[in-house]
Amino acid sequence: MTAYKAFTQEWMDAWKQKIAESKEYKEIAKNWEGSVSITVNADPSKNVPQPVYMFTDYWHGDVLDFVICDEAKAQTAKFIMTGDYARWKQVAKKELDATKALMQGKLKLKGDLTYVVRNVKTVNKVIDILTEVNTVFPDEA
Amino acid sequence: MNGYAGKFLGVDLTQRACSSFTLEENRLKKFIGGSSLAASLYLEKYNLDADPLATESPLMIMTGPLVASGFPGSSRFAVAAKSPQTGIWGEAACGGTFGPELKRAGFDGIIITGRSPSPVIISIINGQATISPADNLWGKDIYEVTNILKSEDKGLKVLAIGPAGENLVKFSSIGNDKAHFIGRTGLGAVMGSKKLKALVVRGNQPPAKANEEKYKETFKAAIQEIKDSAFAESLHLMGSDAAMDLGMMSGDVPIKNWTVGEDFELSSKLSGPTMRETYLTKAHACANCPIACKRVVEVKEGPNKTEEGPGPEYETCCTFGTLIMNDDLAAVIKANELCNRYGLDTISAGATIAMAMELYEKGVIGKEKADNLELNWGNMDTVFALLKKIAFRDGFGDFLADGSVKAAAHLGADALDAVVHVKGLEVPMHDPRGFHGMGLAYMMSNRGACHLQHATMGMEQGMVSWPQLFEMKEDYDGKTSQGKAMLVFNSENYGILDNSLSICHYLMYCLKPETIRDAFNAITGFNFDFKDFLICGARDWTLKRGINNLLGVSAKDDVLPRKILTPLKEGAAAGSVPDMQLLRDEYYAIRGLNADGIPKEEKIMELDLPELRNKLYKK
Repeated sequence: MTAYKAFTQEWMDAWKQKIAESKEYKEIAKNWEGSVSITVNADPSKNVPQPVYMFTDYWHGDVLDFVICDEAKAQTAKFIMTGDYARWKQVAKKELDATKALMQGKLKLKGDLTYVVRNVKTVNKVIDILTEVNTVFPDEA
Repeated sequence: MNGYAGKFLGVDLTQRACSSFTLEENRLKKFIGGSSLAASLYLEKYNLDADPLATESPLMIMTGPLVASGFPGSSRFAVAAKSPQTGIWGEAACGGTFGPELKRAGFDGIIITGRSPSPVIISIINGQATISPADNLWGKDIYEVTNILKSEDKGLKVLAIGPAGENLVKFSSIGNDKAHFIGRTGLGAVMGSKKLKALVVRGNQPPAKANEEKYKETFKAAIQEIKDSAFAESLHLMGSDAAMDLGMMSGDVPIKNWTVGEDFELSSKLSGPTMRETYLTKAHACANCPIACKRVVEVKEGPNKTEEGPGPEYETCCTFGTLIMNDDLAAVIKANELCNRYGLDTISAGATIAMAMELYEKGVIGKEKADNLELNWGNMDTVFALLKKIAFRDGFGDFLADGSVKAAAHLGADALDAVVHVKGLEVPMHDPRGFHGMGLAYMMSNRGACHLQHATMGMEQGMVSWPQLFEMKEDYDGKTSQGKAMLVFNSENYGILDNSLSICHYLMYCLKPETIRDAFNAITGFNFDFKDFLICGARDWTLKRGINNLLGVSAKDDVLPRKILTPLKEGAAAGSVPDMQLLRDEYYAIRGLNADGIPKEEKIMELDLPELRNKLYKK
């Protein structure tokens, strides 16, 4: 199974493909509208010298843009999620539930929390699929 | 004494006499306040064998040192007594306005004994307490009586019972200013037994703080932590019912009297976001709370039309929603309003009706027994009629008014399997099959099944992380019993403190433990560290456990009901049940209980509870 370097365009493409292939996702996410950006804060000690910005976009079960972007583009997303590298790594490795991380303040969310709660099943599915991507993390390479 | 008013009010309703008394600082340092302080007094000064509704049994209303300080979430107060519902230690706490006003009126708490021959109210105005007739208020519902009392003085803070309390319904509640309720363990009936319709209070003298500058600094830190908290944001936006969608994902929400594991369509119609989009008119806050998690709702038209008023919490959206297969949020709001007016605990009332619906479906309860009501699932007209019948002890309502356990006991052993309770108290709306730690917490809670006398939910469901207090994981697997005994032990020792400090449980989840500790120390000058806090929590648990032991509780009572031990077929908790034996054995060892479930003598002395040792071990 191909391994992808985390937070690269190839890694995002693999994640996007897995979501697009999931029939379960398509059904669960049929009401979801809008983009989510993910910001990974820099952590030079873990080989993340600069912040990483990712822009992901979803529409009624379809997956649209899934790209590494700049800060300005990330700020245009409907939902902006921010966190330290170590936290995102825990989420991607299924060691930390993203919803719990939000409640504990380990990840930050900017956007309509009500919408996220109503669609928590969709959010969890996207993260679940992420954990299926064979990932090599910057501090493991 | 900093942080305390320094005086307690004693009221003997038989003698129609009011007096005040003080407590020594050492007792306050040991028990802090709230129900912990109440339990220490109950053990030492009252006859534990007396019936909960006997003249001599006390009704104790207690605040804590943070109350009236202005600190976020410091609006709480506790009411405690021997429970008429369970026959063991009973307590409930709520926010609102009464606690801070009582402190400002010059009292840290009130102990009421005796029984008036006719209905009365107690008025406490700036240190002066009087007892006056209330014949004109008897029979009125909580909203009516509160409106009447406030029409005389808008600034009065009111604590009142409704018809359910007057009629000694075993799960009757007490309402503060129509919006905040002392719901659990039937303490409204204790008030009713004393012919006490209401208390009103007004005061303007907050207690002094030990270190005003340090307090201001801590207050600022607390406000910032609340601003940064996603949990606080979710409470403000969606109230406690934010838990509905999240809970359905994790297997936390009970459905159809605990027999179904998943129904997203049902939960989406009853959830916090739905309430916000449909019936919410505004958010409401308890005194000194920047979050405002309380819902104010109005159903403007239709058969479930209500006036604008307090909206249902998550628990109520379950008991009158998912638990009885009702998907109409307007009907939940109506049921909530009826419970508020009659003075019924929404958890026990809904759970008792759910049990009746199941037994009706199984043919154990026939239509004739049910006063010709059709008790089919989701029939809200029947629910509305039943709530009234329960409150007024009319016919089938009278049969249910002593709670689900006693009602089912009359119907035979099989009927008891439809009851979901621990120690006689109906289980709150969090399913231990999804979260085994919660199962243990229900088993060991001193008032019977309780989701609030500990912080198990916050810790096990990952809403909080407090590694500075004790060793804990960031992300617990709910569906395992391994390691949960230690989690529950720790969560009790810290979580209990919200009651003795009298600070909101939710605020405890939003604030760093350091901030709560610093506020406590700035207000009282006690200079506690975390270890002192956790010892106070352990002392509280052990004291109440010892009282319960004296009231007959033993290891045989530390059990989960059959439904919780029956796996679900679907949903996030499918196939999972708590390992009751493992949980209990590990917990007993950690907590220092002997095989009979009694605290060991050395543990009692380690926690400096000599009075309890003398009574339990007959020294």
